[in-house]
Amino acid sequence: MIRTENLTKVYNGKAAVDGLDLEVGEGDIFGFLGPNGAGKSTTILMLTGMIEPTGGRCLVDGIEVAKDPLKVKEIIGYLPEDVGFYGNMTGEENLDYFARFYGMDARKRKERIAELLELVHLDGVAQKAGEYSRGMKQRLGLAQALINDPKVLFLDEPTANLDPEGVREYRELVLALAGEGKTVFVSSHILSEVRAVCRTVGLLAKGKLVAQGTLDEVARTLAPSDGDAVRIVVETREHLPALEDPEIVAVERNGNRAVFLAKTDIRDRLAASLFSQGVHVREMRIEEPDIEDVFMAIYRR
Amino acid sequence: MAFDRLLNVARKEFSDHITSRRFIIILALLLVISTISIYEGIGQYNDSLESYTEQLQQMQEIEDPYSSWMPQKPSIMYVFISMMSYMTMLGGILAIAIGFDLVSKEKETRSLKSLLSHPVYRDEIINGKALGGVAALGFAMALALAIAIAMLLVFSVVPTVDEFAAILIFGAVSLGFLLAYFAVALTMSTVAKESGNALIYTLVIFFAVSSLLPMFGMMAASAFAGDPPEPPEMGPMPKEIVRTASSGGYYTTSVSQDVVYGGTEDPAWRAYEEEMKTYVEKRRFISDVSNLLSPQMNYFTVAMAVTNPQIMAMVYSPYDTAPEETPGLAGALGRVWMNIAALIVFPSVFFAATYVKFMRMDIR
Repeated sequence: MIRTENLTKVYNGKAAVDGLDLEVGEGDIFGFLGPNGAGKSTTILMLTGMIEPTGGRCLVDGIEVAKDPLKVKEIIGYLPEDVGFYGNMTGEENLDYFARFYGMDARKRKERIAELLELVHLDGVAQKAGEYSRGMKQRLGLAQALINDPKVLFLDEPTANLDPEGVREYRELVLALAGEGKTVFVSSHILSEVRAVCRTVGLLAKGKLVAQGTLDEVARTLAPSDGDAVRIVVETREHLPALEDPEIVAVERNGNRAVFLAKTDIRDRLAASLFSQGVHVREMRIEEPDIEDVFMAIYRR
Repeated sequence: MAFDRLLNVARKEFSDHITSRRFIIILALLLVISTISIYEGIGQYNDSLESYTEQLQQMQEIEDPYSSWMPQKPSIMYVFISMMSYMTMLGGILAIAIGFDLVSKEKETRSLKSLLSHPVYRDEIINGKALGGVAALGFAMALALAIAIAMLLVFSVVPTVDEFAAILIFGAVSLGFLLAYFAVALTMSTVAKESGNALIYTLVIFFAVSSLLPMFGMMAASAFAGDPPEPPEMGPMPKEIVRTASSGGYYTTSVSQDVVYGGTEDPAWRAYEEEMKTYVEKRRFISDVSNLLSPQMNYFTVAMAVTNPQIMAMVYSPYDTAPEETPGLAGALGRVWMNIAALIVFPSVFFAATYVKFMRMDIR
């Protein structure tokens, strides 16, 4: 549904986005992760047809964005980071103004706006958008992004201004939209947020895509390399005896606890050996790389 | 569809303007002052009409077949002369007020990004904004003229078809003047990052072209035209003819020299007169070229041609003692075609600059 090919954007001689190759499937909830200034928003601006790439191209639903930005805008919705509205108009009037660009007739506009305002809990709010709180603006932003019932939804830092209840509702909404077959592209620097809703992620750093896949795949790809070794954590009730196995590469011991670095998964053999020595096993598991640590390492680069 | 999108933007902008407190306050002030000055203008017109009628009666009583002098019938366009002065000030402020934050405010509130995420081209947005502003200024001008015409009718002053046409042309010229400053404000709004800066830049241009430029024009005229020719040592004394046309706070003074001949024509004096004529025309040409860059000066010149063609004819023919016939509106406008063109070119240049800047604007 979304594809970029060597997508590049250069500002003042510096590449904000550098040769980005990305693919997001239909109906996916894709998390676009990266630290501030990584090039996430610039990528979204190119994908939504608001700025032209310096090099490469991007396609949404098979349409090349730079060649036909209007056609793309008709099938996408976009919630910008720190979304803004016309302060002298109510939420309903703001939505009506935007809805007119889609050629919707008055009745259809009225129905759609009422439906969306109810969805984001802004129905019955008579005050002007200039008097809205940041959370209210964010919810109105979500409504304006959905005004045309888009196939693809781009959300840039969508939970930045929401309270916990708003965040919960937003997550439910995103999952419901994906359930309807819409593709959701969520840009965020908050891992927990992406983790909560996204099925696949792409990690961007300094304008380049560092990894793409499910969160576990990305974490594994980016974890400090032990070659093909497996880290097995073992904790026993009694003193942990010395264990011999040709597959064991190294052992880090700490009282009743140890981390075995082995060439393959030898948990069965370790369990049998401990059982035969009458040692009770409290815990035995393969240690996955800590996703937070992996991402923080990338963020700090 | 493309036009629908442009109209959607223009409709919203027009609605924003005419409902904004800023626009309503300045427009109300403009209309109140307009009404008062029109009222006074009608009083003066009635006095002139009365005096004209008396003069006609006196001439009929004298029945002098050799007299070629005829009193001139006052035109109701005199009523509109006073409109020019406050139009250049309050009208200019109104035009600046609606234009200086048209784009910068959208950048500040980030609504531009939201707008651009919907299916609308940038050129449709900027053209729609310009159209909405023009419509709002047109609305203000139409309202001012409608009140003026209504007042004329209330006081039983009925314009002829020609006068009505002149009133409409005056309105169009005034609108052209307002557009000049609206275009400047819109450009500054697009160039500046903040509305405050946009307003400052616009006011700087406003005062530069309205006050500094005419001054520079005069200085340039003195510098390039050099010293005036010296009169011959002997012969008849030159007589200075000073004509002053005043209107609504503006004064145009043309100074020329005529020669009183003692019955015979002196070739030296004739040569001097020709040199003086060339000198004055050269000065005026330099000054006029410089003034073409000033919307105020162009507006003043064109509006004077519409409201008082005879004074314009005197200004443009300083060596004729007086035009024999009152020039028509078309003739008066023909004399000031360069100022009319300048009134069109000035906003066009700024609109073009706005367009180019807006199309290339970084919206991150």
